Amino acid sequence: MKMVNLTIDGKTVTVPEGTLIVNAAKKVGIDIPVFCYHPKMEPVGMCRMCLVEIGRPVIDRTTGQVVREDDGSPKMQFGPKLETACTTPVSEGMVVLGTSEKAKAGRQDIIEFLLTSHPLDCPICDKGGECPLQNLTMEFGPGESRYLYDEKMHLAKHVPLGELIYLDRERCIQCGRCVRFQDQVVDDPVIGFFQRGRSLEIVTYSEPGFDSVFSGNTTDICPVGALTTTDFRFKARPWELRSAASICTQCPVGCNIAFNTRREAVSGGKWVIKRVMPRQNEWVNEIWMCDKGRFGYHYSKSAERLTQPLVRRQGELAPATWEEALSFVAERFQQAGDGLFSIAGGRLSNEDLYNQGKLTDSLGGKKVLYGTMGGGDLTAQSGLVPGSNFSDMGKETAILVVASDLHEEAPIWWLRVKQAAERGAQLIVANPRPTRLDAYATHLVRYPYGSEAGALLAMVNTLSAKRPDLPEAVANLVRSPELKAAAKAFAEAENAVILYGSEGTGLETSTALAQSCQNLLLATGHIGRINNGLVAVWQRVNDQGAWELGWRPVANLPEAMQAARALYVAAADPAGDDPAYLAEGRLGSQEQAFLVVQDLFLTATARLADVVLPVQAWTEREGSYTSGERRVQRFYPVVPELADSYADFSVAGQIGKRLGLDMEIRLAGRTFARLASETPAFTGLSYARLAEVVEQWPIVGRGDLYYGGTTYENSQGIGVQLPLTSAGGLSWPKLVEVGMPKIGLLAVPITRLYDHGSTLLPSSMLHQRIPEPYVVLNDQDAERLKISEGAAIQLIPAEGGSWLGVRAIARLRSDVPERIVLVPRSFGLPVAGPTVVSVRLAERVLA
Amino acid sequence: MFAEKYSDEIQAILSKYPPEQRRAAVMPLIYLAQREQMYVTKQAMVEIAEILGISSTDVASIVGFYTLYYDKVGSTYRVQVCTDLPCALRGAEQFLEGLCNNLGIRVGETTPDGAVMVEAVMCLAACDKAPMFQVQSGDGLSYHENQTVESAASLVAELRRKAQSKRRDGHGR
Ligand code: SF4
Ligand code: SF4
Ligand code: FES
Ligand code: FES
Repeated sequence: MKMVNLTIDGKTVTVPEGTLIVNAAKKVGIDIPVFCYHPKMEPVGMCRMCLVEIGRPVIDRTTGQVVREDDGSPKMQFGPKLETACTTPVSEGMVVLGTSEKAKAGRQDIIEFLLTSHPLDCPICDKGGECPLQNLTMEFGPGESRYLYDEKMHLAKHVPLGELIYLDRERCIQCGRCVRFQDQVVDDPVIGFFQRGRSLEIVTYSEPGFDSVFSGNTTDICPVGALTTTDFRFKARPWELRSAASICTQCPVGCNIAFNTRREAVSGGKWVIKRVMPRQNEWVNEIWMCDKGRFGYHYSKSAERLTQPLVRRQGELAPATWEEALSFVAERFQQAGDGLFSIAGGRLSNEDLYNQGKLTDSLGGKKVLYGTMGGGDLTAQSGLVPGSNFSDMGKETAILVVASDLHEEAPIWWLRVKQAAERGAQLIVANPRPTRLDAYATHLVRYPYGSEAGALLAMVNTLSAKRPDLPEAVANLVRSPELKAAAKAFAEAENAVILYGSEGTGLETSTALAQSCQNLLLATGHIGRINNGLVAVWQRVNDQGAWELGWRPVANLPEAMQAARALYVAAADPAGDDPAYLAEGRLGSQEQAFLVVQDLFLTATARLADVVLPVQAWTEREGSYTSGERRVQRFYPVVPELADSYADFSVAGQIGKRLGLDMEIRLAGRTFARLASETPAFTGLSYARLAEVVEQWPIVGRGDLYYGGTTYENSQGIGVQLPLTSAGGLSWPKLVEVGMPKIGLLAVPITRLYDHGSTLLPSSMLHQRIPEPYVVLNDQDAERLKISEGAAIQLIPAEGGSWLGVRAIARLRSDVPERIVLVPRSFGLPVAGPTVVSVRLAERVLA
Repeated sequence: MFAEKYSDEIQAILSKYPPEQRRAAVMPLIYLAQREQMYVTKQAMVEIAEILGISSTDVASIVGFYTLYYDKVGSTYRVQVCTDLPCALRGAEQFLEGLCNNLGIRVGETTPDGAVMVEAVMCLAACDKAPMFQVQSGDGLSYHENQTVESAASLVAELRRKAQSKRRDGHGR
């Protein structure tokens, strides 16, 4: 890379050719004010705030040499006008003056212009205190305006752009950042400019308004108080807020976030969370986050939270002391011995899973990860190695996304994969139906639902001499030119990454899929190097962590549970999710095993429990999660813990102590230290290591909020990516044949971002985006079955089952394959994997 | 509705652009959508967006950007008088005032029958023939140069008659 030398305000700088002046200045700590420029977007030069004086050395045309003054210094020629530092790239010998009288006067004029139509209602503006316009006006503004107050433009002040984001039209300074972000960065061009000049307004015509799962980010980069979130609007002033570093718990990306809190009279003097902001981690979420993460945290402060232990007495759950509850549990676990059956959900932290695992292992019991995705052992063997980063992927990389509607399953990964494709990466999207990623794909592979593993093996087949047998459903696929081209692109790319999700898969099919993925990586030599490897798009934030710590899902959990003498269920609600647990798992029956439920809420399972143990939310405690990219990241206490409450790891530890086990019950950090000393992949890790930071680019979150926006700087840890355990060898998966049924339809589970999860529903502001329970049918099928759009239907599993009571709305689409019913997870229909069903409308059986 | 009603015209417009650049047809399509009612309904914007594979917000932005597109019900005819500097020097402002007085409305208002709105606009490139105005309707634009209040008033009277018969024929406003 060619380097260029220049001076900015007397400081010499050496930066790569092509660097914009504004960024070169930033690198040496000089702040050039900007409004429309944003380091994550292309420059547009719209606002003129960044005006500077630029001198360039005079070159003698005949000799090509720099002309020198008498004293030997190069002769400089300054342009007659100020230039925009945000659009001008550096050049050799350039002299930039950002603090000359001329530059200062330029800035003053721009501020004066911007304020001619700005209401300056800072005292009631949510941005006041962290507002670029306010700050730059104080710093560079003229102090007085020559414009007439009466001629200010007056526009609407409370415009809901949908129910999540509010617009104050008067405050907008027309920098276009929001519109450009939606258009260029996330490709949801649902807000736009209307009219021009002083009358310009931001509008949305989408249905619902501002229909984008990334909408909250515009409030971070809007340099004024024009865009605010419903969550924070009029709720607090920025200078009253404290911040604490945390991790989003809504998906496996593990976005770094900061919680803002305030101690307030309206909440009875308590510390409360006022908002969530993204926190920079250029390896994970850069400076963005999605709206599910930003607005979905409310469950942590729900009034429905459990506050004290409950023990069943005379058939009723009644409050008990911790001592009573824990001793009782310990006694019964002791009796159960190796009949202890632990079920843990992937929203538990590494420390929680470690302690609960320790307790279970000590008694010889069984540990089960609650979930329907397999392959966490394989992602540990062939995952991304430390140093991998989606931002570094471009032309030399192939990314294969298989069985995933990534936009719904992990929005930030969707964004980063899309951007890699825009930088030239080969993007292979393999999915049975179209998804939003298709638009950026270089190769599209369609396979029938249930044949995802087969489809990947077919790719291997076209490449390697070792030919696994293929199931019938994909036999034709091998000959498809698209698949061949995709396989070739994947094999030929220097680096290759596979993300596999859970579109249409259950545990069995998912496990086979993960294995096929690994085979493809092995066959093409894409393991063990930076920016190569396998990533699972898990359904929970810490599923990967659970796998690392030895937790595994089981094929038929209800049946497996039958052997249990005591059940220890944490962060999972089997009874609420699937009636099968009542029938086959004996929950709620006479033969129910001793049941302990550890949760935030009184779930359906908790209602059946013998003992219910409340726990702290992740905002009330410390811990760590392992993301889908196997990055271990810390989260910190945000608000004080509730009186007499414990974190999951502590509850498990206290039970263990009563059984005479040596377990940590107080400090998450010490629990982590134990975990690290016993788990090979975590060797050498400590909370201190996880808290280390490095300088990141762009520099955000310091005094210059106008540059990157209100994203927080990362000062509390970028986390550490785990090393690979050991690369496994080639072993062909056992393929499960999921053929089309002779009669009936095939119901397959899919994931929807705004779902009915218990960690989302308490956020009432999102309710308009969370639909009623629904299923999606192919429109031809629907016509045949006489089901119309919006009709209430029921699904009847061919093998019998007990979800008859669940109704759903039928949605019809032509891009769903024939005889397939898409069933979104968590909406009450417990379709755990491909399931043969018939559909019935009202009381009549139709198919 | 729009797409159905004008499917032939829409096809004709689309055929002028290469399929991979069909978004370029957005301007003529908006123009078409405006023809009947002199404004573009939200529904039409949604349909245009669908036809072109862009967002309806993008369509709306274009409607908003250009002054000859409207997103609200207006008059059948728009009389757009240039009052920019060169025209002003030739008495455009007095002309506009006179015309408004004659019609009993103010600048930017519509005659009570909904037929004619009078607006002041920027240079229309006929600076030497002021006072001048253009008339915009669903049928297109017509230029009227070297005008007097009287000539303009009689033209407006004519437009109002036409508007009335248009309405009788069942066209929109
Ligand atoms: S709303 Fe904010 S980000 Fe959008 S154009 Fe206006 S000032 Fe810029
Ligand atoms: S992408 Fe995932 S981790 Fe990031 S904010 Fe959204 S839900 Fe949270
Ligand atoms: S013109 Fe440079 S920041 Fe806006
Ligand atoms: S100034 Fe009126 S037409 Fe040019």
